[in-house]
Amino acid sequence: MNHREARLLIGGDPDFVPPELAEHLASCPECAQFQREMIVLDANIRRALEHPPAGADRTNEAPTTRAAGGAPVQTTDAGIVASVTANAAPVASTTAGPPAAVAPVTPPSAKVTPISDGRGRQHKRTTLWPGWALAASILVGAFATLAIWTLHPTDTLAHDVVAHIQHEPKSWASSQQVSPEALDEILRKAGVTLDANSDKVMYARTCPFRGHKVPHLVVSTSRGPVTVLVLRYESVKARESFHEDGMTGVITPAPHGSIAVLAKGNENIDEVAEQVQKSVRWLPESH
Amino acid sequence: MRGMRNSGPETPVSSFDGSTVGAAPGDPIVRLFESIRPELLRFAHWLARDRAIAEDIVQETLLRAWRSRDALKDQTAARAWLLTIVRREHARLYERKRLELVPLEDGIEPEGMPSPPGPDSELDSLRGAILQLPLEYREPLIMQVLGGFSTAEIAQELSLSSTAVLTRLFRARNKLRAMYGLTPAPDDSASEGTL
Repeated sequence: MNHREARLLIGGDPDFVPPELAEHLASCPECAQFQREMIVLDANIRRALEHPPAGADRTNEAPTTRAAGGAPVQTTDAGIVASVTANAAPVASTTAGPPAAVAPVTPPSAKVTPISDGRGRQHKRTTLWPGWALAASILVGAFATLAIWTLHPTDTLAHDVVAHIQHEPKSWASSQQVSPEALDEILRKAGVTLDANSDKVMYARTCPFRGHKVPHLVVSTSRGPVTVLVLRYESVKARESFHEDGMTGVITPAPHGSIAVLAKGNENIDEVAEQVQKSVRWLPESH
Repeated sequence: MRGMRNSGPETPVSSFDGSTVGAAPGDPIVRLFESIRPELLRFAHWLARDRAIAEDIVQETLLRAWRSRDALKDQTAARAWLLTIVRREHARLYERKRLELVPLEDGIEPEGMPSPPGPDSELDSLRGAILQLPLEYREPLIMQVLGGFSTAEIAQELSLSSTAVLTRLFRARNKLRAMYGLTPAPDDSASEGTL
């Protein structure tokens, strides 16, 4: 393998190291450096993509109301009614007018910002705002953002944990036991050991997460497979439970950072999470 | 899912395109689709670079998925299945109509920009750089990093060779390297098919 082939493979998937690439990296410090840089870059790309580019979250947080029968309904800026679940109850819009049997659909092309008036309209709206109102809105927005960030820091951590696990859907289905040697190596890199039978660990990998390498395990339990992330660099003040994207999770403070335990479904996993978290031992020489 | 509203437990509902679909209340498949919906929207948004278009793509995706739900034999494969439909819907959008392109800064309204917690201008810059990647590079990158697709799966979906996919991924990351002030690796592959 030459340098070009090695860098093509690294650039194609920095986390994938076939034997021939590993052999090349062992003897080529330049390509090894290139790989290290790409792994860091890729971790940041992953973090960047975990948030929508513009406003998708806002869509999810659109004003929500409940129709007479209990069906949750979302409205968008355009007044389009969007039922978020297929519910037995008839849905109603928060906007004026009777419930529509069929939701209208705006053609995609109509939602593309026109070249001619997009900039002009934006400019006009800005200039019509009084200066004090603009300043006040910025101040309120800054306080709101700060408050949300301060009061719910782990919400974002939980979201990132779930997003990371969603990136490796095959990890849940792994049925091959991880060898004790491989597991030990992965855990020791993170400064921990696991007081559990290694035959219960069905998946183990060192993964990039928020710019650090963390152990990502899937452990077979009586509750079914659970995912464990040892987050040495992510501190939480208190235990936090969450449900997101079809998963139930618990993040608890640890002597160094925190530990996240997640399972599929909505069932309570507190007991399993406690067992798993107790089985994680932090090595004295941990850095 | 706008097209999946129902008026009774076993009553078919009319979808927006005039066809008829049925959705039992509390149907596990509906709950499954809804649990994945935020991820579909994020995926579509990065592809389309427009929230409204992404919403339309996801809506159409969920409707198509509902109609073809019998084809989903393994529910653990639902995520990849739905993401694939999203990608195809996005591609179909470009086939149906050549979208009017606008400069990026005009298409994104400042007040609509999300504010991820904490000052993270570096990530914001990276997001901007990813958005500016040509679709041929952005698409496989999003499929790999956000969708979790393997190189072989991306190659199959995009009707490309695995080498061509690797080349596109390499070029995408190489362009982003430059943004980080790192020296881009030499890209001397004359075409995507050469290795």
